[in-house]
Amino acid sequence: MCTSDLSGGFAKVKRFITSLVILLFVFSAAIIAYRIVWLGYPAIPAAPGQTWHLSIDAHVKTDGKGINMSLGIPVDCPWRMFVEERIYSGTLNFNILSEGQNRFALWSGGQAAGAGMEESIFYHATIIMRPKRFYKAEFPDSKEYVFVAGDEEKIVARRLTGKWDNLPSPERIDAIAGTVTGKWGRPGPDKNDLEAWSVMEEKHGKAKALLMLYQSANIPARESEGLFLRETATDKLSKWVEVWDGKRWLNVWAETGNIYEDQTSFLSLVSAGVPAVRMINGEIGDIRWVLVKSVTDRWGLHAERTTRSKSFLDKWSLFRLPPEFQRTFRILLLVPIGALMISILRNVVGFPTFGIFMPVLMALSFRNTGLIYGLGIFFGVILLGYFVRSFLDKLRLLLVPRMSVMLTLVIGGFTILALIGNKFGLKEFMAVGLLPFVILTMTIERFFVLVEESGTLEAFRTACGSAAVAALTYMIISWEPLQLTFFVYPELLLAIVGIQILIGRYTGYRISEFIRFRALKGS
Amino acid sequence: MFPDIIRNLIENNILGMNNRNAEYIMKYNPRSFFPLVDNKVLTKSLAKEYGVPTPTLYHVVLHHGGIAELKTLLKDHSEFVAKPARGSGGSGIVLVTNHTEETYITQSGKKILWEDFSYHISSILSGIYSLEGLEDYAIIESLIHPAPVFADVTYQGVPDIRIVVYKGVPVMSMVRLPTRASDGKANLHRGAIGAGISLKDGITLTAVHHSRLVDRHPDTGKPVRGITIPHWDKMLLIAARAKDMTGLGYIGVDLVIDKDRGPVLLELNARPGLAIQLANGSGLLGRLKMVEAATPDVFETPETRVAWAKEAFATRDVKKLPE
Repeated sequence: MCTSDLSGGFAKVKRFITSLVILLFVFSAAIIAYRIVWLGYPAIPAAPGQTWHLSIDAHVKTDGKGINMSLGIPVDCPWRMFVEERIYSGTLNFNILSEGQNRFALWSGGQAAGAGMEESIFYHATIIMRPKRFYKAEFPDSKEYVFVAGDEEKIVARRLTGKWDNLPSPERIDAIAGTVTGKWGRPGPDKNDLEAWSVMEEKHGKAKALLMLYQSANIPARESEGLFLRETATDKLSKWVEVWDGKRWLNVWAETGNIYEDQTSFLSLVSAGVPAVRMINGEIGDIRWVLVKSVTDRWGLHAERTTRSKSFLDKWSLFRLPPEFQRTFRILLLVPIGALMISILRNVVGFPTFGIFMPVLMALSFRNTGLIYGLGIFFGVILLGYFVRSFLDKLRLLLVPRMSVMLTLVIGGFTILALIGNKFGLKEFMAVGLLPFVILTMTIERFFVLVEESGTLEAFRTACGSAAVAALTYMIISWEPLQLTFFVYPELLLAIVGIQILIGRYTGYRISEFIRFRALKGS
Repeated sequence: MFPDIIRNLIENNILGMNNRNAEYIMKYNPRSFFPLVDNKVLTKSLAKEYGVPTPTLYHVVLHHGGIAELKTLLKDHSEFVAKPARGSGGSGIVLVTNHTEETYITQSGKKILWEDFSYHISSILSGIYSLEGLEDYAIIESLIHPAPVFADVTYQGVPDIRIVVYKGVPVMSMVRLPTRASDGKANLHRGAIGAGISLKDGITLTAVHHSRLVDRHPDTGKPVRGITIPHWDKMLLIAARAKDMTGLGYIGVDLVIDKDRGPVLLELNARPGLAIQLANGSGLLGRLKMVEAATPDVFETPETRVAWAKEAFATRDVKKLPE
C-alpha cells in the first residue's frame, strides 16, 4: 500500500472504513436473521435444548385375522421438531398415515401365522421442544370435530354456560375451566341441572364433559390424547381439552381445571377425539409409553437438523464436514476472536506480549495440557531456557545454529517431561509434545534479548503479559457455547473482521499510557 | 483518581502510541523509504550528499569472510566504534579506545580478546541486533569524543540529542544522558536520563529518569537543568534537513556533539519514541497541530522551518533551580 494515496483523502478513507464495517455487520446479521427466520435456527444455539425421547413399546397378538393396529404418533409443528424417528415392526408391515391433523403409525399383517402369534413393535422418536418460539396458528375449523352429545345434554350444557355469554373469550375459558372444581359462579346453577351434569360427567368422562361445555359456549375446542410432558412411563394416556382463545390453542387439564398456555406442557399424540390406540384386528398384550428427557448433545442436534434440510445454506453448513474435520473448525473459528483479543489487549490496553500471535498458539496448546499445567510448563521452559541460553552465549554460536541448539534442547526437555509424566501418570505432561515448540524456542530467545536490553523486570512483565493473554484466549476458545455459536453461524467471522478493522483505526490512548505519562502535571 | 490521569494526558496534548502509528508514521513515512534510515550505511551516504557531518566511516564488514582482514585494517585506527548497520536502540555497539592486534580496550576500560571481538562482529553479521533479525553489515567508524558540555551529568558513554522533526520542522528535542544504571548507554529504557531542551535557545529543561521527574543526575549529583547546548542552531538545521534527505515526514534525528567536529548526525529513526514528551513535560500533539496549521511559506527552506519553530515553540522557559 502506498501511503501517499492515503494522505490525499484521509477523510475519504475514514468514510470508506465506516461503510465497510457497517456492511460487514449488516451482511453478517442478515445471514443470521435469514437462518433464524426462514430456516428455523435457534437464536441462541447454545441454549439448553429441551429434548425428549418418546418410546412406545407394545406386544400384540394375532387373533386369527392377523393384526391391524394404529397408534397415534406426534406431529411436527412449530413448537416441536423431530430429529429422529425409529420404528420396529418385526414381521409386520408398517405404514405412516396422515389423517387430518393427526398422524398414525399402522402395523398390519400376520394373517398367515394364525391365532396366538405374538409380535413386539416399537416406535421411538427424539423430539426437541422449543417453548419460546412464536408461531402463527391457523384458525380452527369448528366443524372439524364436534362431540356428538344427546339433545337433552346439549340443552343442559347451554343452560350452565349461558350466563357467561357476555364475557370476552379468555375469561369465558377461565370461567368454564373453573367448573371442574365446582366453581359455578353466581347465581349458582339450578340444582337439577347440576345433578344432570354429574351424570353426564360420569358417563362421558371429565374431558368430554368439559369439551361439551366449551362447545355449548361457542368456543372452538377439541379433545387431545397424549402425555403430560414430564419423565413418565405409563400404560395409559391422558386426555385433556384444547381450547381456542382466538389466537392459539390452550390446554385445559380436565382433572384440575388448570389452564396451560405453554404448548409444550403436553405432548399430544392425537387430537380431535380420535382414539390414540385402535385395534381393528388382533389384541394388545401390553403397551407402554415412556417419555425421558434426553441428554443428547447440542452439536448432534444441530447436525441432525442441517442434514435433513434442503436449503442451500444448510447444504454448505460446516456440520456437513466429516466429524474429524469438524473438530478442527470448532477451534479454528474461534482463533480470530483470540486475535481480536490480542489486538484489544495490545492496542487499547497496552499489554506487553512476545510477538503478535505467540499467545494464540500458546492458547491452542493449552487445550491439550490444560491451563494450569500449560502455564507451569510455559514458565518452566522459559526459565530453564533462559539459563541454557545464557550458557550458550558463552559458546559464541551463530544465530541460526544457536537457535537449532535451543530447539533441540526444548524438544529434549519435552521428551523428559513426557517420560516423567508417564511414570507418574500425568497425562498433561505427556501432552506437552503438542506445545508450539518453535514458538517457545523463539520466545526464549526474545526473553533473553529483552533481559539483556531492557532488564529482568521488563522481560518478566512481558512474559506475564503473554501468559495472561494466552490464558484469556484459551478460556475464550475453549468455551463451548461460543464454539457452537460460531459453528452454527460462521458468518459471525465477518462481524469479527469488522471489529478488528475498528480496533485498527483506534488512535486513542492506550490504558498503559495513562500510567506511563502519569508524571505529567496538569498545565 | 483515574479520570485525573486521563485529563492530564488530554490537557498536555500527549501523543499516544496508536495515534503516532496511524496518523503520523503510516501517513507520512512511506514504507519504501524506511531502509534509508534503518540502514546506517545508506544514511551515511545520504548525509554526505547533503553536507551533513557523520562519524567517519572506516570500513564496512559485509560477510563473515571479511572478519579476518579486519585485524590488519584496524591497525591504522587506534580507536573506533563497531556497530550493526541496521541496529536499533543502541544495541550491539562497541566503543574501542585502544587496541593491539590481540587485545581491545573498550570505553568502559574492559579488555576483550580478538576472539571475543570477532565473535561480536560475526553476531552482528548474523543479524542478532538488526531490526528484523535479517543478516546485517558491521560498520567500523570513528569514535566520538563528546564535547565537555554534558561532562558533569554523564556517567561514561556518549550523551546524544534527539530532535523530532515533523514535515521538516523541528518540534521537540531532548538530550539522553547515560547513567550507571543504563550501563553508559543513552537509552531511556535502560535507565538513561532524558532532559527536554528548549527549542528556542538550546537550554535543558525538565528531566525524567525511569518516568519520574528529576533535577539532578543520580550518579554525579549535578543539576541537569539549565545547561546551554553549543551549536544549537546548527543542530536544528541538520534536523530540518533530514526531511529533505529522507522524504520522511515524521522522524527522529539523533545527534552527538564532538569536541572537535561539532554536531554530528548519528542516526535517523522512522519510529521515534514517545518518551521525549515526558522529558519535556509536555505533549507533542499540540505542536504537531501547530505545524499543520502553519502557512506554506514556513516550509520553504530548512532555515525558514527552523526560524518558525524557534518562534512557535519558545513558550516554555528554563525554570531556575533553587541552589
